[in-house]
Amino acid sequence: MTNEPQPPTGPGSPADVPPAPGEFPIDPATLPEPIRDELLAAEPPVIDTSATELRDGINRCPRCGSTDVRLRPASGMLVCLYCRNEWSSARVEEELGLGEGLKDLKGTIIATGAADIDAAAASMRTFKCGGCGAEVVVDTAHAMTARCHWCRHVLGVNEQIPNGAVPDAVLPFRVTKDDAVERIRQFVGKRRLFALARFKREFTPENVLGVYLPYMVVDANARAEMVGVGEIETARYSRGRDNNKRTYYDADVYAVARSVSFTADDVQLESSAERANLDTRVNTNNIINTILPFDTKNAVRWNASYLVGFTSEKRDQDVEGLHPVLEHQLLSIARAQAEPSVRAYDRGVRWERERLELHGSRWVSMYLPVWLYSYFEPRRGGGLLHYIAVNGRTGETMGSVPVQQWKLVLAALAVGTVLEGVAIGILAVTA
Amino acid sequence: MIDVLLATDVVLAAGSGGDDSPVWLLLLGPAGAVGVYWMLFRFYRNTDKSHGFERETLVEAEPVTGEDRLIDKIRGTTERWVRGRNERDYRERVDRLE
Repeated sequence: MTNEPQPPTGPGSPADVPPAPGEFPIDPATLPEPIRDELLAAEPPVIDTSATELRDGINRCPRCGSTDVRLRPASGMLVCLYCRNEWSSARVEEELGLGEGLKDLKGTIIATGAADIDAAAASMRTFKCGGCGAEVVVDTAHAMTARCHWCRHVLGVNEQIPNGAVPDAVLPFRVTKDDAVERIRQFVGKRRLFALARFKREFTPENVLGVYLPYMVVDANARAEMVGVGEIETARYSRGRDNNKRTYYDADVYAVARSVSFTADDVQLESSAERANLDTRVNTNNIINTILPFDTKNAVRWNASYLVGFTSEKRDQDVEGLHPVLEHQLLSIARAQAEPSVRAYDRGVRWERERLELHGSRWVSMYLPVWLYSYFEPRRGGGLLHYIAVNGRTGETMGSVPVQQWKLVLAALAVGTVLEGVAIGILAVTA
Repeated sequence: MIDVLLATDVVLAAGSGGDDSPVWLLLLGPAGAVGVYWMLFRFYRNTDKSHGFERETLVEAEPVTGEDRLIDKIRGTTERWVRGRNERDYRERVDRLE
């Protein structure tokens, strides 16, 4: 007689037929109240930004029906290359009411373009060309538009696919390429003397690339508290004589507590893990970070035609992964808000503990425009990619110019030698 | 240039401590060299730059509230500032309040 364990049977066992997706296997009415409430709670609110009218991939000119459409940076509008008609997508700020109700924000509201990334979602999308019926493939990892090789129609990825490639909104380039080239030339022009010789030789700002980088734009409603110790000087006096003279201080010590409720409008967070890494020892991403902020109030509904002629990077960060970054920025903002209220502490304040209550946040994913000039500096054990970046809206320019180390050391030594000479001169006179 | 001036100040302050100590002035050369190196390096590489979100984000805040309670009196300390002063280091995170 064998006593082998029998496989379990009954509801919930492997033998049972699994429930359909979205269906719960047990009747919630039979469950305890807290579990039932959680199960029956409404789905978190979402902002639907999917453009169903563009789902077939064809963005037609509203006047002549042509699909040869691209952005005209000078006006920030789409232009039809056939009839020169200009138009623009709707601004998301008004259409989705993003600038309103910040004080009433509760919970986490996520726009459909900022939804979690499905790792299994393919980056290759196939469209049936509306012009001739041919099947056209677009690799969303590298491009958001493609031309039908049969009838020359332009097809764009407008459907929100869960691979992070299609955002809710896009902020079109306004700074033209010529303008960006000039700004980069000026930036480097001020930094030529100690720049790496090879960099100067190979410097061709005309190679600048227009890139749409992925960001999460977040509205937040929060309250922050902080506690610490502050000191106010009550007396200052000297003791000792000559060489042993020292200054002493008397002070009152206070336990300090502050709290502030606030809303933050359009916090802009990098939503590509690679760009979010701001370690200046291994990359120069801080340069791209510095040209923030963008005027995200002017962002428009997603339309792939805005990307014609530009490149883009895909989002690879979800809302959950970016929460710690948002909390860090909100706490920093709260500390900055509290700073004027502790100026009476003339010996300073040491904050020891802090807390953030995030009442509500609203997340929208956007492509923001950056003109990017890059230069790879070869080094032992790898190399460093230097960026010079121009904000595609405001024109703010920042860059990292590789330096010729020996020149820098020589300049420092020259100044040091002169100063040392002065010091020796003073010593000789006073001796 | 600020670096150089600061370095110079430090050296001059050290050198003015007493009649016999101007030899500290000899630090002026090395301090100046280091200061010039860092100033130029930062001007070219901009490693110290980042988005000033504390200032540049659109924030609407209610008035800051709080309390201040006298807990101690210090007599005769030689420390110029409260130890660990950080009210302007907005990005320095401290322990979380539970």
